[in-house]
Amino acid sequence: MATTGSPEYRLLGTKIPYIEGPLKVTGRAEYTDDIQRPGMLVGRLLRSPWAHARLRSIDVTEARALPGVFAVLTGEKYPTPFGVLPITHDETAIAVDKVRYIGDIVAAVAASDERTAEAALAKIRIDVEVLPDYSDPRDGTGPVKEPIHARGLLGSNVQKEVVQHFGDVDAAFAQAAHHVRVRGNFAGVTHAFTEPLATIAEATPDGRLTVWSATQVPHYLHRSLSEVLGIPMHRIRVIKPEVGGGFGGKSDPLPHEIVCAALALETGRPVKILVDREDVFYTNHGRHPTQNDVRIATDARGQILAYDIEALIDGGAWSSFGTVTTYYNGVLSMGPYRVPNFRYRGRRVYTTKPPSGAMRAHGGTNIRYSVEVALDQLAERIGIDPFDLRDQNALPPNSTTVNEFRITSTSFRKCLAASREKSGWDQKFRKLPYGRGIGLGCGFYISGSNSPIHFTPKMPQSTVHLKVDMDGGIAVHSMQADIGQGSNTLLAVIIAEVLGVDLERVHVQRVDSDVSPIDLGSYSSRVTFMMGNAARAAAEELRDKLLEAASTLLSLPVSSLVVAHERFQSKADPKVGVSFLEALHTAMERVGALTASGAYNSPAMGGTFKGARAGTAPAYSFAAYVAEVDVDVETGAYRAVKVWAAFDCGRALNRLAVEGQIEGSIHMGLGQVMGESMNYRGTRLLNPSLLEYKIPMPQQMPEVEILLVGDDDPEGPFGAKEAGEGPLIAILPAVGNALYDAVGVRFTDLPITPDRVLKGIDLRRKEGRPWKGA
Amino acid sequence: MHLDPFELHRPASVDDVVRLSRDLAGGFDYLAGGTDLLPNYKMHLNLKPHLVALEDVAELQGHTLARLGAMARLADLETDGALTAAYPSLGEAVREVATPLVRASGTVGGNLLVETRCFFFNQSYFWRASLGFCLKADGDRCHVVPQKEKCYATFSGDLAPALMVVDAEVEVAGPDGRRRMPLHELYDLGGDGIRRTHLAPGELVVAVHLPEASRGRPGTYLKLRVRPSYDFPELGVAASGVFEGRRVRSLRLAVGGADPYPRRFDALTDSLVDTELTDERLQEFSARVERAVRPVHNTFLLPDYRRRMVSVYVRRALTRLRESAAS
Repeated sequence: MATTGSPEYRLLGTKIPYIEGPLKVTGRAEYTDDIQRPGMLVGRLLRSPWAHARLRSIDVTEARALPGVFAVLTGEKYPTPFGVLPITHDETAIAVDKVRYIGDIVAAVAASDERTAEAALAKIRIDVEVLPDYSDPRDGTGPVKEPIHARGLLGSNVQKEVVQHFGDVDAAFAQAAHHVRVRGNFAGVTHAFTEPLATIAEATPDGRLTVWSATQVPHYLHRSLSEVLGIPMHRIRVIKPEVGGGFGGKSDPLPHEIVCAALALETGRPVKILVDREDVFYTNHGRHPTQNDVRIATDARGQILAYDIEALIDGGAWSSFGTVTTYYNGVLSMGPYRVPNFRYRGRRVYTTKPPSGAMRAHGGTNIRYSVEVALDQLAERIGIDPFDLRDQNALPPNSTTVNEFRITSTSFRKCLAASREKSGWDQKFRKLPYGRGIGLGCGFYISGSNSPIHFTPKMPQSTVHLKVDMDGGIAVHSMQADIGQGSNTLLAVIIAEVLGVDLERVHVQRVDSDVSPIDLGSYSSRVTFMMGNAARAAAEELRDKLLEAASTLLSLPVSSLVVAHERFQSKADPKVGVSFLEALHTAMERVGALTASGAYNSPAMGGTFKGARAGTAPAYSFAAYVAEVDVDVETGAYRAVKVWAAFDCGRALNRLAVEGQIEGSIHMGLGQVMGESMNYRGTRLLNPSLLEYKIPMPQQMPEVEILLVGDDDPEGPFGAKEAGEGPLIAILPAVGNALYDAVGVRFTDLPITPDRVLKGIDLRRKEGRPWKGA
Repeated sequence: MHLDPFELHRPASVDDVVRLSRDLAGGFDYLAGGTDLLPNYKMHLNLKPHLVALEDVAELQGHTLARLGAMARLADLETDGALTAAYPSLGEAVREVATPLVRASGTVGGNLLVETRCFFFNQSYFWRASLGFCLKADGDRCHVVPQKEKCYATFSGDLAPALMVVDAEVEVAGPDGRRRMPLHELYDLGGDGIRRTHLAPGELVVAVHLPEASRGRPGTYLKLRVRPSYDFPELGVAASGVFEGRRVRSLRLAVGGADPYPRRFDALTDSLVDTELTDERLQEFSARVERAVRPVHNTFLLPDYRRRMVSVYVRRALTRLRESAAS
């Protein structure tokens, strides 16, 4: 199993296949749709065909009368607004008063089967007053005729405006030797997770409500269900079965989850809602369509003096994570570089389109693309190598940024050195033939948010419970959410490592709010760092109990003992020792099964200005990627040939999972570069299908050389940091800059489709500016 | 999305099929591989109460070097080295259809008669209802080219152009017996885009006949699409011909994926026969083909781009033929 490792650790640092892998590949793993409950009904959602309309009346009489229909629900029954952020509750389970995009939920039905449910939906009569729709965020920045939400700033559709200024940007630009400006335009992209959204709910005669759902954040779902349904949390039980990918798209509490629970309460029967692929596109909460304007000033040598940034962010119909997005587009633009002066104005504007939200490398992807393209342009203008420019501006370890981010570990310079060397950069940059190019893109990302969404400063962000009985199997409980990224495996590996036992002894239990202690779930790349520390603490508490027992059995002081494989033994004489089971059974005398608990809370950090907590994290990951591309200059089609991905995630605890995350991130990032795009005609999504939403095919994947160069982080578990989101960011600008090297065209807008490449090549030719002799 | 119920018929002979088709009087679709029809049915696109499955009709099965049964599976064609060597344009086209899984079910007849495609047609019932139905299904107007007469949905099969350039003939059976016609005459270029072939009601394609004269003739098929698998063609250019050096001895060219029907360009190619195909003439020739093709904005790639790719792909295809003569 182990292929590579570290002398300090038996398991950590090796390549460990997912513990649930055999169940998944044989079809035995239980996803939400696999669950059947006795007497279960089918729930179906009626979606709005109007982009923006006031609901005058909804007549459900005929639908209700249909045999086999158990309930028909409209918005007024559960009108309490909710949303993932406590400060922006503007969603309702079902539309109340207004619908705000094509696909918004207007009514719901529970029926004996799918066909009956759909027949019932067809019988619901809705009378509306059609309102003006808003597809372009630029049209919503000032007062509008019909604001999409009452909360829009000053009668506009602006949901959130962030203005920040650190240092003196105007003065810095005035004394700058060089400055560049990049204006970017980014189409919206969506997560396209493999498992569509699915929820089952069941209200039982004991007064309890159980909800199974494909969610990344069971705890926030738990809270939202309680708030909207008016049921105390302790009477609600949330269970997370296996989840087939999320990428942020399952991190909001979603309307269908609440509707499903409401239908279960209405009918007294279990209800299942499966959201089909088209409706997943409407549910969206994907990456925001964004327009940004980035200006960077440097001195004569290329030392960064200032950033001046604006972002206009298309929020769609709801707030979702939007307030965070608006901050992140600013604060995540700076690292991995030292930026002494910084000004940012970000506005997120509601439109009558499917809501945008958090998607892998949330808030740090589009802005990073523009910044990295701008830096590439600066390097060219100044006449220095793009690597040198970045190296001389790198944030040093143990430093503080202008907006008071605490940077502890960073191996960014090592990332630069590794990707430069391995890619043969110095032999290739500007030296490859026309049509072939090489480019550098860098990035950084939070390793867990220091200020989680439901911020209770003294409450841990992650808790892990262990229980071990006579059989020697260790049950692990935590509400951390494995969504396919390997957190269950990591949990088991950390516990097995600390206790010295075989992995097969560790049984990670399904997330169940009745028994799992709260962990805030899988978002903001927090799991390895926070759950990892909590797991380590829990395992160490258990280990200490076992060492105590071993000490009694061996009549040796605890301080003279060490943990070995399935055994506790004398440091001095390894032959003297007791087995894990012997120690366990002794420790259990009089007390029975052993339990242990570990928790993690991040230290206090961040400034005191408004919004100071946004983007603060106990650690950050860093990346420097080089991509080599090959362009067909007659068709504009291109291919990423190879990617050298140097990444600092501190110590990689499960190397197989880290490599998988990096490869998957490159695939996902390439999608946004090469063709993924939610295409609209007005407010109407044209391509809500996996045939016309162009996720790259396996043949489009480049060869990937992964370079893990991170030094141990001082606070991460065993030195680890995140590797789930940061790996995505750098691939986008690496490809964009490589295309520039190939054909001499700056691509500021994503996706870079072949027609855009060709247009750029044409324009350059027309202007009589040959590139590499062509 | 689910399939609405339909009555499934499984005739065992071509005669039975023809009889059934007369009895069902238009209220049916033929079911071949089902890879396109059934997804369309799930979207409630032009549902019919009856499906006539062709899978039990022995005469439609299988293929030889001279004849492709209408129900021959694309995967079987793809893996027949003798066939793909004898008709290189076919060999290249069949490998480019969708994905291996689709090719395992997909058939020759199904690909020739595949439903045309459009952003405003290949959508769920909900989607289409919310916009207002189009003239290809349930409505009376076109959302791409606003008018009410003609459908501009794009022909999206790969095999038709590849088979047209080897002078394939198609054998059809119907209430009035059997007939054969050149494949490129199967498609009705003067149609309204809804009715796209010269098949009479109840007629079905039985087989494609491959003339011996075309066997071994150099040929090629180039397909434009966003991704290297899965995607339908945004343009497909097939060419077959014999060169002596740069001199054109014979040449056929066909284009699919751009208009509502696949078509040959005989007048244009005939003008090249017995001439030297210099780079300049090739350039000029491909520009003429480009001008003759009129894609509209109903697929992922923009029509201007698709049109421009016509000349690039034509030039590449003919260059390849010319080079194969030289080597």
